[in-house]
Amino acid sequence: MNECVLEIKHLKKYYGNIRGVEDVSLKINKGEIYGFIGPNGAGKSTTIRTIIGLINKTDGKIYINGKEHNKDDIETKKIIGYLPSEINLYDDMSVKELFDYHESFYKFDTSKRRKELVKLLKIQENKKIEDLSLGNLKKVGIVLALIHNPKILILDEPTSGLDPLMQSIFHKLLLEEKKKGTTILYSSHVLSEVSNLCDKIGFIKDGKIIKEDLIENIKKNNYTYLTIRSNDIKKIKKELNLEIKEEKEEKVKFINNMDCNTLINKLSKYNIDSLLIEEITLEDLFEKYYR
Amino acid sequence: MIRRELKFNFKSFVIWTSILIAIFLVVFLIYPYIITDDTVKSMDELMSVFPPEVLKAFNMDMSSIETVYGWLKSEGFMFVLLIVGFYSSILGGNILLKEENDKTIEYLGAIPIKRSKIITNKIIVSIIYIISMVLLLGIFNYIGLLVSGDFEHKQFIYLSITPILIGIPLFAINLFISTFLHKTKKTIGISLGMVFIFYLFNVLSELSTNVEFMKYFSIYTLADVRNVISNVSINMVNVIISVLITILFLIGTYIRYGKKELI
Repeated sequence: MNECVLEIKHLKKYYGNIRGVEDVSLKINKGEIYGFIGPNGAGKSTTIRTIIGLINKTDGKIYINGKEHNKDDIETKKIIGYLPSEINLYDDMSVKELFDYHESFYKFDTSKRRKELVKLLKIQENKKIEDLSLGNLKKVGIVLALIHNPKILILDEPTSGLDPLMQSIFHKLLLEEKKKGTTILYSSHVLSEVSNLCDKIGFIKDGKIIKEDLIENIKKNNYTYLTIRSNDIKKIKKELNLEIKEEKEEKVKFINNMDCNTLINKLSKYNIDSLLIEEITLEDLFEKYYR
Repeated sequence: MIRRELKFNFKSFVIWTSILIAIFLVVFLIYPYIITDDTVKSMDELMSVFPPEVLKAFNMDMSSIETVYGWLKSEGFMFVLLIVGFYSSILGGNILLKEENDKTIEYLGAIPIKRSKIITNKIIVSIIYIISMVLLLGIFNYIGLLVSGDFEHKQFIYLSITPILIGIPLFAINLFISTFLHKTKKTIGISLGMVFIFYLFNVLSELSTNVEFMKYFSIYTLADVRNVISNVSINMVNVIISVLITILFLIGTYIRYGKKELI
């Protein structure tokens, strides 16, 4: 059941002395959506471009369906759909000409899927590429990534430039793909969309995966925000020894990972004016990892 | 992909070919009117001022510019060799690198086509256009000369083919150089500069025996127009060297591009 489709082992990429990716390892099973989360410059696009074969890896291995993938492996490229973060296409072509050109690289009929996608995404095929807005260009990119019914989808910041309605259509499309068994690597820094879509999340920072877990486990994490107002706040800070998110006179907001009994036990010794415990959101968790 | 490349590069092919044809069209149209007994006499006087080495460098010692064909063999062919050289060099410097410059390589690199196939397709298209340019100009001039007067047919045909011997190697050299670059900004300077330098070396090598060795550093030596005019033949050694240079740089291109970071 847990058939691994895409696996990266200790991927390293340096541009001369400049770090692109330090050590990235991940595994994505069939039909899984993997959220690849990280701030700008963390190494998301470098990892993706290495999988696609646009850049050479310094070290590490990439396996697709258990077979080591090299950059000129045509058979593997046939089953990959790629949506880059910035879409750069041939300005002199019309959308129709571009789709026709794209279809010519696949030796099977893709016209049915093309019609479905063009209709769903409301694309005007008679328009010139150079006349398309950023959002419409992205929609064309989505068609190019999905037209050949790929088994693996690699999406780099896929919703940037799409309006909320189109984002919702796109997410539905991805869930349909997932149902069909498509494996998806979804790179983003927008956590809310990842938390609703993905099965697993990997956080990348400074070229390394710093945390990887199933989305349900991440949502069930032990972190809470603990806000205390007290005259004994100095002693409480010392007693709890927790990371502080905000501090204002006698009111302090802690990032808490203690279990309730220990916490109550420790706080019972002090005079507390007010106490607030809040669930930490994914965005806050993201902040915690990248602070 | 070949169809797409042919379509995309068609406009520049038409522009460069039109420039060449326009030069010759103007010459064919006005030459009969400017060449009179008086102008021939004054030109002869003018030529006598130049040292023989200079006349030799522009093939003016072998052909008289009293006729259109005479002009074509000397000055006219200088334009053909230079313009075919410019076109081939610019095409070589741009055709592959443009994909990276415009970032369309991110699209092309993700679809199922090998890097080597991308190069092959672009080479095929470029060679088609370089040969077409030379052939079209040859046909145009042939017709123009038929109308204008007498000329040596065989000599003209050989002469018309010679730009291919410099055009294709220049394309290959520039294609290879482009694999070391990421932006097309620098390529035009390199392409044009290379053509000027090679041409200059060739001209200088004809001026004095002291600098004759410079011909070994110029692609233009391969055109060997003097031999074509005097012996009405193409030196097969030049053809072989031209082919070898082309193959060498194309192999280099395949190797370099196969390893290149495309983004």
